[in-house]
Amino acid sequence: MPALALFYRLILRPLRQERARTALTVLAVALGVAAVIAIELAGQAAVGSFRSSLETLTGSANIEVTAAGGIPADVFARLATAPYPLKVHARIEDYAVIAGKVKRTVPIVGIDILSEGTLNSAGAGEAPEGASDLRIDDSVWLTSGLGFKRGDSIHLLINDAAADFTVAGVVSGQAGEAILMDLAPATRFLRRGGRLDRILIEAPATHSIEEWTELLRKDVPDGITIARQGTQTDENRHMLEAFRWNLRVLSYVSLAVGAFLIYNTISVSVVRRRFEIGILRALGAPRVAILGGFLGEAACVGLLGGVCGIVLGRILSEGAVKLVASTVASLYFSSRPAPIALTWEYVLLGLTMGMSIALLSALGPAWEASRVAPIEAMARGRSEHQARVHRWRMAAAALLLASVAWVASRQDAVNGKPIYGYLCALLSIIASALLVPLLVSVMANVTTGVISRVFGIEALLASRILAGSLRRTAVLVGALSTAIAVLTAVGIMVGSFRETVVVWMDDILQADLFLSPAVPGGVDRHPTMSAEIPLQLAQLPEAEAVDQLRNYEIRYEGLAATLGGMDARIAGRRRKRSFLSGASADKVFRQLIGTDSVIVSEPFANKHRTKAGDILKLNLGARVGAFRVLDIYYDYSSERGVILMDRETLFRYLPGAEPNNVAVYLKPGVSVEDGQRAVERVLAGRMVAVARNGALREQAIKVFDRTFAITYVLEALAVFVAVTGVGSALLALVIDRRREFGLLRFLGAADSQIRRILLFEAGLLGALANISGVTLGLVLSLLLIHVINKQSFGWTIQFHWPVMVLLSALSIVYVATILSALYPARIATRLIPIEVIHEE
Amino acid sequence: MGILHLGHVSKDYVTEGSPVAALHDVNLEFQAGEFVALVGRSGCGKSTLLNLAGAMDFPTSGTVLLDGVNTSNLSDFALTQVRREKVGFIFQSFQLLPTLSVIENVELPLMLAGNKQARLLASERLSWVEMDTYSSRMPYQLSGGQMQRVAIARALANGPSILLADEPTGNLDTTTSELILALLRRIADQGNTTILMATHSMEATGKVDTIVRLQDGRVVDLTRVTQFSEGR
Ligand SMILES: Nc1ncnc2c1ncn2[C@@H]1O[C@H](COP(=O)(O)OP(=O)(O)OP(=O)(O)O)[C@@H](O)[C@H]1O
Ligand SMILES: [Mg+2]
Repeated sequence: MPALALFYRLILRPLRQERARTALTVLAVALGVAAVIAIELAGQAAVGSFRSSLETLTGSANIEVTAAGGIPADVFARLATAPYPLKVHARIEDYAVIAGKVKRTVPIVGIDILSEGTLNSAGAGEAPEGASDLRIDDSVWLTSGLGFKRGDSIHLLINDAAADFTVAGVVSGQAGEAILMDLAPATRFLRRGGRLDRILIEAPATHSIEEWTELLRKDVPDGITIARQGTQTDENRHMLEAFRWNLRVLSYVSLAVGAFLIYNTISVSVVRRRFEIGILRALGAPRVAILGGFLGEAACVGLLGGVCGIVLGRILSEGAVKLVASTVASLYFSSRPAPIALTWEYVLLGLTMGMSIALLSALGPAWEASRVAPIEAMARGRSEHQARVHRWRMAAAALLLASVAWVASRQDAVNGKPIYGYLCALLSIIASALLVPLLVSVMANVTTGVISRVFGIEALLASRILAGSLRRTAVLVGALSTAIAVLTAVGIMVGSFRETVVVWMDDILQADLFLSPAVPGGVDRHPTMSAEIPLQLAQLPEAEAVDQLRNYEIRYEGLAATLGGMDARIAGRRRKRSFLSGASADKVFRQLIGTDSVIVSEPFANKHRTKAGDILKLNLGARVGAFRVLDIYYDYSSERGVILMDRETLFRYLPGAEPNNVAVYLKPGVSVEDGQRAVERVLAGRMVAVARNGALREQAIKVFDRTFAITYVLEALAVFVAVTGVGSALLALVIDRRREFGLLRFLGAADSQIRRILLFEAGLLGALANISGVTLGLVLSLLLIHVINKQSFGWTIQFHWPVMVLLSALSIVYVATILSALYPARIATRLIPIEVIHEE
Repeated sequence: MGILHLGHVSKDYVTEGSPVAALHDVNLEFQAGEFVALVGRSGCGKSTLLNLAGAMDFPTSGTVLLDGVNTSNLSDFALTQVRREKVGFIFQSFQLLPTLSVIENVELPLMLAGNKQARLLASERLSWVEMDTYSSRMPYQLSGGQMQRVAIARALANGPSILLADEPTGNLDTTTSELILALLRRIADQGNTTILMATHSMEATGKVDTIVRLQDGRVVDLTRVTQFSEGR
């Protein structure tokens, strides 16, 4: 118990007395932990949910059958009549929009309503009421969450048509929202032409799933995939892992910046109390007690920060989940976020994070404290112990780390994750932190003359005070510069990416008008429109050419991909910079015509290590086709891979003349307004949206910005933590150097001069942090663009300086840094000189 | 009227409710160039008196006139001006800024006052105290006596009319103390600067014009060692 009492008196009481500073340090930890927790929770909610979107109502099925472009009906017949005790359920799956005040996109599932066992075993729980009505053509069954009653009328948008349905019943679906419809009308409304999207099989436990799939595979054509139910979901989740991983890493930046600040807090308290430590040692305190005391101080800060961070993280996750979900939807899968669940695991994670970051960053200073010799209690000659900083030794270490980082940056991805890339980033950050002391002292030496001549004595004093506590300054500059570096790096990366996308859009968006069904599509959703639309449009006197695109959701080597068919005669005509090889678009597109050949998108090539000339074996419907890869094209529209072929080629394998998108090129001299009017006349009555070239680009850029919104939030948080740290450290500086501030008053310094000293200090810290931060940021941005992005997503990004964005972001950071000195400055001007001057 | 006048000055400190009278009805007047020693037991109010004289603190009652100006009536701005122009401080523990070199320490008050010839004046002051050869050293490279000489040069930087020294020899050995006292004597004589020095040392009192003895915040004795009048 006396140990506890001493711990309270010597460690906790000072923490309480300097409430403002303690609070700021705790806040720094809390924000770091909050960022991590918010991203974990949001990622879990956004990613964990995509299953519930289409994988609803799978019931007790344990095997699923799928095929690119749909399963031919005879496969179902063969499975259903196979001589095994199986229950076989056919399904058609798509999305529909419930029209109303708020438009909601909901999965629509076609099942065999009449065999009520189907619905039962499909997980709906009970046989739907009204299933015996024969008027099932316009009947739908809704899950209870959608808020409709039996007998209600419901207006649905499906593809490019709208129709009214009657709610024949409500089922209590456990797995999210869905609209159920009988197979026959579903086939018609969803234009499936007799194909099924999925066959669910309930196989008895007499054999293992592997044995069953092996058995069943014999009964179906080669192109059909038979797998354990949920395999695709797992694969999809796996795909999201790289994305979550990257987001997670970014969320740890705030925590890392927080680590600098805890290090600073503890090392300030060690330096400040060296004399006290000496006395304690002289009075018989063992080294471990000193070590334990300071680690305990850190643990308290960490624990408090962890607790606050968890609460804050839970609050922030509400906003984060929206941002993350929209990123997932635009890059990967249609999904609706699941509710946020703050489980014990996350609480534990938050506490562990807070504590371990605090203990780790306190280890160095606490160790140093335990090395203080009892004799130092007597050594009061020097007014302040100068923490020794081995500038050159640190610079040498920095050089070493930088070379290791260089080697790391040349390594390949591990399991699709850029582990070495992040290692390189971490090493670069540490290396630059190690270089900071040298930078600070060089700057101080070189510039003091200039500074005092230009800005006066206050600036000189500020720069001397900073150089005088070199270690403290270095840690602060390190923290702020890390935040600035990440801001700069991600800013350059996103800005470069944006510019690359804009240039790319210029290249591929050559048509004047773009048509798509009113039902919103997505990376994995391809609503169609009637096949006659492009034919009718082609007849228009205003139209020069009409291209159409048909997409299919396929799987290649266990990964979701998009297979597209476009009119190779038209699509390639005006493009210039389409291919990685630099080949002329016109030539490549012409080679696509009439041959079993494809072009693949850059992310596809990266994921599957595909080169031009390779042969791709694709399961298409019931068949397997072999396609030669002609070239690899730039594609920034999605992170998933895309395979493109001429639509004539596609139709030799898959049915479906209904396009997902149609592009109209107007004749020269025809105004866009006239063209649009003519097109809309053709579309009359159909639920098809027409977008002009410019509008489509704007839309795309908006989606792009939304995708990266979450990164801005995380960066802002890191910067906020760093700026908070600067404020708290300046406060410590004022408290430690109060004698000097008091002396200045005796020597005739005015309030305004004291204030200016503090503001100059913040300004110098900010300037140093900007110099090293922007330099490091540039290095990190190259790493992000050429290594990390390439390995996780597979895009080629052209480097580009987002000058305005960076300048304004950095100015905001700079102003915030200077403002953070206002409170410490107030404290400094309120010191009573005759009280502090004789204090030792 | 003298350079410094204290009329019925009392100073109370309130600690935990009960007031402590640090000074009680003090009446003093000093002339330009007068070298004054404040003596008395620890806690008798020497430092308090110096703080009042330097306009760093203000009396609870009574008036402190610095060159004819009542310090209690001044704005913050005017106080700063007074401190810059009229007062110089020297402390027992020297109080040099550790991050500034010798010459920079001396320049400090000049620069704070916006003086354009800081470097020139500072080196002149340093040569007064015979420290001009040390001007680029850092404080920790000096001995205690040297530090105090630099501190004196700094206190004189703005050419103050009154120099306030709180036990300037308290941290020094006897020989060094002698040197410092001789220096102060010279400053009083040549610069016509009034020096108020709080001291415990008996040797110190041998060099001064006037000895003021304080006891429990009251002036109990005032001895004019030398006959001192304005315009001597
Ligand atoms: N800030 C303060 N608050 C309360 N009491 C104070 C304060 N400053 C001084 N005192 C009290 O005023 C009295 C005079 O103090 P002062 O510092 O002037 O003494 P001193 O003569 O300079 O002593 P020493 O020779 O030890 O320096 C003392 O009793 C002291 O306790
Ligand atoms: Mg005193």
